[in-house]
Amino acid sequence: MAAGSALPYRDTKPQGSADFYFATNATFRFLIQRVGLEGWRRYLGDLGRGYFEPVNRAWRAGGLPAVARYWRDFFAAEPGAEAEVRESADRVEMHVKVCPAIKHLRAGGREIVREYCQHCHLLGAARAESAGLTMRLRGGNGACVHTYALPAAALPPQDPAQIAEATA
Amino acid sequence: MIGCYDFCAHYEWTFDWLEREGGPALVRDYWQDAIYRDSQRHARELIQREGFEGMAKYWGHTLAEESPDLGFAITRGPEVFRIDMHDCPSKGFLLRNGLQSYGDYCDHCMGWVGPLMREAGFTIDHEHNHRGQCWWELRPASATGGHAPPGEVAGAKDVRLRPDWNAPDAIFDRYLKATDPDDKQR
Repeated sequence: MAAGSALPYRDTKPQGSADFYFATNATFRFLIQRVGLEGWRRYLGDLGRGYFEPVNRAWRAGGLPAVARYWRDFFAAEPGAEAEVRESADRVEMHVKVCPAIKHLRAGGREIVREYCQHCHLLGAARAESAGLTMRLRGGNGACVHTYALPAAALPPQDPAQIAEATA
Repeated sequence: MIGCYDFCAHYEWTFDWLEREGGPALVRDYWQDAIYRDSQRHARELIQREGFEGMAKYWGHTLAEESPDLGFAITRGPEVFRIDMHDCPSKGFLLRNGLQSYGDYCDHCMGWVGPLMREAGFTIDHEHNHRGQCWWELRPASATGGHAPPGEVAGAKDVRLRPDWNAPDAIFDRYLKATDPDDKQR
């Protein structure tokens, strides 16, 4: 990562290794099997509030510009991602044209956990709440739109039907 | 979205979450079932089918991708496949960024490589110093004798010859003819 990156951690290479998406998919499958869907959701909430606290703190301090900067740097570090970050007065939208994880899992012939795309909302909502924001997701299964908004934007509640099931 | 750029960090955090949720057994099951049998199935297929050649293909690819500055060396002999890790990209990420949630991150390697080697018919001699440096000697389970003395297999690339291998903060874990993560000796 370049100096000045909004990402909290530094590595010696500009992008991560795509094979790690295999492990994330396998982690979800393991958790759903061993602790159930509720346990998996709890894991993602804990991850969002705990592991991501340094980022949440930066978002709380820097507001929507910090959110936009983070996601631009994030997708630049994810191999195979095609995403555009759009900022407006009350929200940041990430238009993910090619999800790098779904793309790599398909290329690797992996059975994708069907709830895979829900993780972006479950994790994103926990992170947003910690930062005083709201988060919604629509789409999935390879392309989607994430919205992080100020409470004043009064986004309608997340419609679960707007999150697509992941398929091979 | 959970990314891969910081995978090692949230992977390590996950070990701690699992241990709090289900104790050490759940962490061990995670390494074996999620990482070895599911995530790393390409490694299993290669190594079970091709032995040392499969190891060379798997680690040659994955270590080059994770560690493009080649902080490792692979050496093959007729009865041994050896890896010398001089700058582990995974543990190194945690050390560089000051991250530790779980007790011993390095345990995860034996947690998934151990079952792989057991099922593929190999045994492991391994030592790490918790500073991002380690060595592995993989031999057929039928092989007799111990691991090689420093330099004998890998020459000057043997990580044990580094002046900082025995640094004051080094803490050594060892596995001798092992395939079980609980066979750790300290």
